[in-house]
Order: sequence, then structure tokens, then C-alpha cells
Amino acid sequence: MDILIGLQTANEVILVTSRAISRGVSVLKHDDNKVVKLNSYTAMAYSGEPGDVSNFAEYIQANVALYGLRHGIEMTPNSVAAFTRSELARSLRTRKPYQVNLLIGGFHPREAKPMLAWVDYLGSKVDLPYAAHGYAAYYITATLDRYWKKGLTLEQGLKLAAQCVSELQTRMPIDFKGCDVHIVGKSGIQSADLPPIVVAPGVANKPSEATLASA
Amino acid sequence: MPIEHSFNPYGDSSGGSTLAIAGKDFAILAGDTRHSTGYSIDSRNESQIHSVGDGLLVSPNGFSADARAFVDDVHNDIIWYHHKHNKKLAISSCARSIMHTLYRRRFFPYYVSPILVGIEPDGTGAVYSFDPVGSYEREASRAAGHASELLVPFLDNQVRKANQVDPETGKPLAQHDLDLETALQLVKDAFAGAAERRIQVGDWLEIAVVTKDGHKVERYPLRRD
Amino acid sequence: MDAIVSKYTRPVAGPLEGLRSGGERKSAFDFELPSIDRPAAFLRAHTDDATNPDARIKIQHGTTTLSFKFQGGIVVAVDSRATAGNWVASQSVKKVLEINPYLLGTMAGGAADCQYWERWLGSQCRLHELRNKERITVSAASKILANVMYHYKGAGLSMGTMICGYSKQDKPEIFYVDSDGSRVPGHLFCVGSGQTFAYGVLDQGYRWDLSVDEALALGKRAILAATHRDAYSGGSVNLYHIKSEGWVYHGNYDVGTEIWKVKEEEGSFNDIRT
Repeated sequence: MDILIGLQTANEVILVTSRAISRGVSVLKHDDNKVVKLNSYTAMAYSGEPGDVSNFAEYIQANVALYGLRHGIEMTPNSVAAFTRSELARSLRTRKPYQVNLLIGGFHPREAKPMLAWVDYLGSKVDLPYAAHGYAAYYITATLDRYWKKGLTLEQGLKLAAQCVSELQTRMPIDFKGCDVHIVGKSGIQSADLPPIVVAPGVANKPSEATLASA
Repeated sequence: MPIEHSFNPYGDSSGGSTLAIAGKDFAILAGDTRHSTGYSIDSRNESQIHSVGDGLLVSPNGFSADARAFVDDVHNDIIWYHHKHNKKLAISSCARSIMHTLYRRRFFPYYVSPILVGIEPDGTGAVYSFDPVGSYEREASRAAGHASELLVPFLDNQVRKANQVDPETGKPLAQHDLDLETALQLVKDAFAGAAERRIQVGDWLEIAVVTKDGHKVERYPLRRD
Repeated sequence: MDAIVSKYTRPVAGPLEGLRSGGERKSAFDFELPSIDRPAAFLRAHTDDATNPDARIKIQHGTTTLSFKFQGGIVVAVDSRATAGNWVASQSVKKVLEINPYLLGTMAGGAADCQYWERWLGSQCRLHELRNKERITVSAASKILANVMYHYKGAGLSMGTMICGYSKQDKPEIFYVDSDGSRVPGHLFCVGSGQTFAYGVLDQGYRWDLSVDEALALGKRAILAATHRDAYSGGSVNLYHIKSEGWVYHGNYDVGTEIWKVKEEEGSFNDIRT
């Protein structure tokens, strides 16, 4: 199961995606990028049915680009999210709906505000301060409930993202081959590195026999 | 056309609902007397409250055939307890005994959700509720049967004082023991409501009040439709 | 002819014969079974509402429980909700079973399976004390339970428990035991439908040198996290601390009020807008 995590900081949105592509018993790719750039200030992380995901991502990417070319002005991140959602809702009523889950991260250059939208294949869309899809959500929503605060700096946000990845690396039974990070902020979309991922303290701090004896 | 055979010993004939409230020195077990199977009313006068001895009352709540077998089991257990030990069975011990009666059939369960009501040796009223395979808990109140989903939230609010605040101070109300009069009125109101909204509930309401001196049953009319 | 007659003739029962003596069973293992080929399939068809929503006998389920070792002993924390299908059957379940003054067991999965077998385990532990003039170890106690679970493997029991206490060498011990027959020693476990959420908080806040108060707060906080995100968990938190002298109960905390306190103190739960 692929990992998609998004979290807002004071001035950015951080998107974290896993690098593995697995089919059956094999890992096909160790350095996959599950984020597409939709325009200067909007990025979309995706997961779901193989084939559907890339096709849908390209379709949205092309249409958002087309809008920019036709109107000479880019769609706002909110409009992109609304458009994408409606495309999924439309697709759901067809013979072969797209089975794609998304996190759309954006930055409003005029209002200087980040936004994050959680969108699922059924066409639900929720604007959230932090969000995740798939099994990852079962672990790290609780972590984010605990540690996410309004107005985080980028550095704090990346640290929190690393904490989430450390939790997943510690507890999830599959190896997702690490994570990519994309930041959407006032200077557009950039990829970044997470601070070093450590084993979660709950497992790293396993007491030795000697410590136990003295407890 | 393939013929499928499967063993299904469970039917849907059952009583309506029962409700129990524990007080400081009394306990109430109330139930309606309607008995139905699907949309058919089988009887308007089938009591769900069973005295099993030693001042203990049981309502089995569930599929009638299992319910009857279950009450017989509990009754027998108390009789045998008297033969063997020549003393009264305490309600907490009866609760444990019922757990064993139910768990003995863990792999072939009785389709029942029983309630046991009586007085503890310390004089307080007690209500014990069980799941079909014997997990149990002592509670201040409990309802079971077809109207349990209507009765339980009402009891939570009126007995446990859940989600109630003192209009003066704005602080949550604390749970305190109800007096008998209030408790009886609550039971009547609860069943009047249940008879309005559940087709399986109606006809007569039987209210048994248990005190240290034994129990008394009173009957009140409910809707007949 | 004689063969046929004898085949269909049974001895006449005496006055009390055939009457089961009240509550008396040959042993804790004396179970009534339906007289059919595959009792486990029968049980699943009628009681397993996870795979078959039409199953009418709803057995109580759903939970978050956790326990962990730290410098000051062991913390055990649990929620108190019981669900039968989508119905919240109770908000006041005691999911920590006090096996004896030194041993605690937690309850996840089938409520009756946990209650029954952990009570039974309590009596086995007492018998061990009487026979051997010493307390049973956590390791031995958990093994007795695991053996029973393995005996009934496939029969349809459902149990996920942590047996917690101190060993003879005065070391804290936790064993995870489940109805598959697994028995796993460890220093930190979360069990139940809300386990992942509890792990998400517990793993990140854990340190060996937590003070007793910090450890209790972390245990409580992890259960709170699970009640917030897992609909099958809720009610209130029950907290226990185990020291070498035995366990101490640290109270019951209603989730409905606790979450606002925690949100205010920590500035957390920012998904809730006020």
C-alpha cells in the first residue's frame, strides 16, 4: 500500500510519498515519484489502481495546463482541487471509474496561504490541516493529532514529517523504500530531503536485560 | 436448482423488551408482555420476568426457545446450589454462575442477552447484564430486547445523567441513586415510548420491584396496537 | 430383530439421571457443541458479524488496549467501549482483568472469551501458588493461557491479550497472547482495532526513563488518540501501574471531558475546530 501524507506549515504544504512500486511479490521500482506538478503553485500526490493513477494524473495535468494557456492565468489551487474532485465524481458514474486517491497541495500566491485537500476516488474532498491516505493514515493521523500545531515553521514541518515516516518504517509490515518530499510554497514546488529517519523511540528504546533487572 | 442445507436452530420469536434499574436499596426489573414472531403477535400475556429463587429475577431477552431453556438452567443451578450448600446464592455468585451457563455453550450459543436483578448482601440494589456468551458487568441500569436502542439512551440520560448540565452552574450533573418513585415513573415513561415506536412492544407492562423483603410485581396497560 | 431392537432401545433414566446438576461441569473445557459436521462454520455463520453482517447473535467486540515497560515498572491503559455490530453496547467495560494482585490481563476481541479464560487463568495461578508455595511467573501464566488458546485454535475463539506483571527476579514482563495461539514477550504492545493510532502516539512519546507520572500520562494519551480516530474505541480510559509490589489502579477518565483538557494543555488535536 502506497503512502501519501500531507501537512500544512505556516507558509508551505509538505507532501510526503513513498518510493516503492510493487506488483505481486516484487518491488518494480525503488525511486518512484508519486507527485505531479499541476501548475506553478499546485502539486498532486496520488495512489490507487495501477494504470488509473498515471492516466488520471496526466489527464488532470494536461487540463490544468490547458486552462492556463487558454486564459493566460493559472487556476488557483482551490480551483484545481475542485476541478479534480468533480472529474473523479463524474468518472464514478461511468462504466470504468478511476480508482485514484489524492492529496492536493497548493499555495495561493496572492493571499500567501497554503492549502491542502484530501480527495478520494468517490469524489469526496475535504480541506484539512494534515491528511493521509491508505494504511499510513491508521498510524500517523494519531501522531499528527498529537504533534501538529498551527503555524509550524518549514523546519518543524519537515521534522514532523520525518517523525511520521519513522513511525511507518517502524510499524508497517512492508518496506516502502523510503519517501520523497515535495514542498509547495511561495517559491513554487520544490523537492526536499527529510531530516534523518530514525527508528521510532517506542522500538528504538527497547530496554536491555541489564536495565530491566535494575527496574 | 441447487438445494442448500444448513443447520439453523435460531428463530425470531421473542418477547418485547425489558429494562432494569438499580437503586440504593431496591432494584427494578420491568418488561412488556407481548410475544411476537415477525409481524405476528403470538401472545399479549407472556411474562418476561422470571423469579429464579433467592430474591433474584432474570429476564432472558432473546429467542424464546433459548430463553426458556436458559431460565430453566439458571433456576436449576440455584436449586442444586441449595441442595449442595444449604444457603442462599448471592447475586454476584449467581452472575458468575450465569456466565458459566452461557459460556458452556460458547460454540452453540443461546440467542439471549440476559439481565439479572436482585439485592447484594450489602443491601444495595444490583443489575447485572450479559452478552450471549457470558461476558458480564454490574451496571446502574440496562435495557435489552427489541426496544433496547430506544431505552438505553433514555436511561443513560436519566439515570447516569449523561450529557446533562445543571442550569444554574453549567456543570455536568453527577449520577446519584434514584428514589423508587422517580425510578418507577421513569420505567413507565420509557415503556410508553417504546410501545409507541416498536411494533414488538406493547400490551402490558410488568414492573417487579425487588427489596430485601422479596419482590412485588405490578401491571400497567400499554398500547395494544 | 434383536439387533434392531437393541439399537433403538435406551436404558430408562433414574429420577435424577439426565438432569444436569446445576452449573456443574466436568471441567472448564466441557462445552456443549451443535451435533453437526463443522461446529466452527456454524458458529461463524451465526455470530461473526465481521464477515457476515446478517449474523444475529452479536458478540461484543472492539477495543484499544496497551501496555509498556519503563523505568518505573509497567503502565497498562485501556478504553471501555463494547460494540455489537454498529451498536455501542457499553461505555463502561472493565477491560483490565485483575487476575490476582500481581498480574493484570487486558481484554481485546471477544469480551466473554477474555473474561472467561482470564478468570480461569486466575484460578490456575492460585492453584500453582498452593501447590508450589510460590507465585507463578508471568511467563508461566501466559504460557498456560497460550496453550489453551492453541488447543481451541480454529474453533472460533477471539482474544488478544497482554499478560503483565513482575517476574521472580523482580523484572517487569509483558506477554502478548492471542487466540491464534501466539505468545510473544515484548516491552511495548498496543492491541485491538485502535492499535495503530495508539502506536502512533506511544511510539513517538516513549522513553525508557519516563517518570511514573509521565508514563501514566502517555498511556492515557495514546488511548485517547485511539478513541478519537477509531469508532470502535471510546467511553473512558482505565489506567494501571504495575510495580514489583503489585498493581495500582490510577483511575477512570471519561474521554468526553478528557479530550478538551488535553487539547487545551498540549495545543494538540488541531483537527477539532472550536
